[in-house]
Amino acid sequence: MKKLFSSLVVSCAMLMPLACVAEVAVIVHPSAAFDSLTEDDIARLFLGKSKNFPNGAQAVPINQNEGAAAREAFNVAVCKKNASQYKAYWSQLVFTGKGTPPKDGGDDAAVKALIAANPNMIGYIDSGAVDASVKVVFKVP
Amino acid sequence: MIKHSSSFKRNSLAAAMLIALAAPAVQAADLNISGFLSVGGGMVDDDNETGANYGGYEEDLTFDRSLLGLQVTGQVNEKVSATAQLIARKNDGYEVNAEWAYLTWQASDNIKLRGGRLRTPFYIYSDFLDVGYSYGWITPPREVYYLPFNNVDGVDLYATQTLGIFDTSVQVYFGSFDDEFDLDGVTTDAKTRNQMGVAATLGKDWWTLRAAYHETDLSVNVNGAILDPTSGLTLGQFLGSLPAQFSFVAPRVLVEEDKASFTQIGFTIDTGRFVAAAEHVEFEPENSLFAKNVREYVMGGVRAGSWLFHLTAARSDDEAVNLVEGIPAVPQTAVLIGTLNAIAEAQADKRDVISLGTRWDVASGVALKLQIDDVDDEVRGDQKVYSVAVQTVF
Repeated sequence: MKKLFSSLVVSCAMLMPLACVAEVAVIVHPSAAFDSLTEDDIARLFLGKSKNFPNGAQAVPINQNEGAAAREAFNVAVCKKNASQYKAYWSQLVFTGKGTPPKDGGDDAAVKALIAANPNMIGYIDSGAVDASVKVVFKVP
Repeated sequence: MIKHSSSFKRNSLAAAMLIALAAPAVQAADLNISGFLSVGGGMVDDDNETGANYGGYEEDLTFDRSLLGLQVTGQVNEKVSATAQLIARKNDGYEVNAEWAYLTWQASDNIKLRGGRLRTPFYIYSDFLDVGYSYGWITPPREVYYLPFNNVDGVDLYATQTLGIFDTSVQVYFGSFDDEFDLDGVTTDAKTRNQMGVAATLGKDWWTLRAAYHETDLSVNVNGAILDPTSGLTLGQFLGSLPAQFSFVAPRVLVEEDKASFTQIGFTIDTGRFVAAAEHVEFEPENSLFAKNVREYVMGGVRAGSWLFHLTAARSDDEAVNLVEGIPAVPQTAVLIGTLNAIAEAQADKRDVISLGTRWDVASGVALKLQIDDVDDEVRGDQKVYSVAVQTVF
């Protein structure tokens, strides 16, 4: 029982560091025809509810790898789901052929490189990693 | 009637799909494999004196609800993919069955056409019934999720559309199904023909409404059902012994290409902190011994960290059919009327179930669930069921 309790404390504590994560920036290719997206637009793309940017262009969302701090912060703030809820949500779609979750693109540097090379992709990275190779369209508060 | 989903006949479809999917894999095509596993069991507090225990559990804890599912999706070309979901269940002796096997044609971003073996969209949770990880309960409430036919061989169209601020979806299908299921302890053949249905959802952020309507020509071989356990008298023998002037009773009892309809309405809510769901269903197999099934549940829950606590109230309020209309109530027909009324009553469940459960997300992709069901059955009496499961996706 003591072990169960300590696991409980640990699993609750795991939710806390989210507050300490630096700002997360949602990024697209610099050539994108728009300069900003709403939180709702972005959530719809990452939850598979929409496959296009608001201007009609095809959108390919890219996640960071599971466990990445930016991913947890992004999912909680934008998709309104913690890691488990996010996984449960997607398992409802995956196992019914109704959707495929965004591909995992790696860490800040790997995702930035992917976005910089693909005009259709959208991803998120730590604000500190942003440079001129990508365009920021939203900042996770 | 005790209904539970039965094993499908061993089919070569599974093997065929695997081979079809494996072939392109050699050429390193886009092949996706995902899986789910549920290990679980339970027990009842006290064996029922009459009939089976609720949920089929024993007085001793048994782990007999385990299942393993593997889903393989292969991209045939840009627009066409092939999907097979192979499931091995403990209570089928881990025999592998293809519960889903279909081709998908992505006609546009919003429209899919599928053909093959599909999950019938009876309920909100039908599509991911076997993927326990995707919801809070160990399994959705048995009172409502009781139909033995979960799949259909046919074609469907699934379309999604954003209407203003709402997300909508519509699924229509046509098909048929042949299966065996357990009717009060006797394995019977059942089939549906001209089965068709439509299911639609309307949602926004944290809520979704859903409604569905299905109908089919249903045939179930009920002749082998045992009427009298001591003499072994079957329903077929009983009907065959009826005097000629009551021969009109037999077609009223038998289930032979009888029109059956199923309607569903429900909603789900998930605000992150709070979850809720409710469904009301009515199944009406006309001109047969089966009762009109009226079933519903309502669930509410709250999340705290990686825990979810939920409370569910479910009810069966079936209406027995009248099999004795047109039979004069005279002393000579008392036994016949009594027997027919007993047959009809036996198909009508009257039951209330209160369930309290918890889900603990132990780690990413792993959930531990505990549940207590308090069953109040008008015929079989009260029973408590304790169940546990560990469920994962990978």
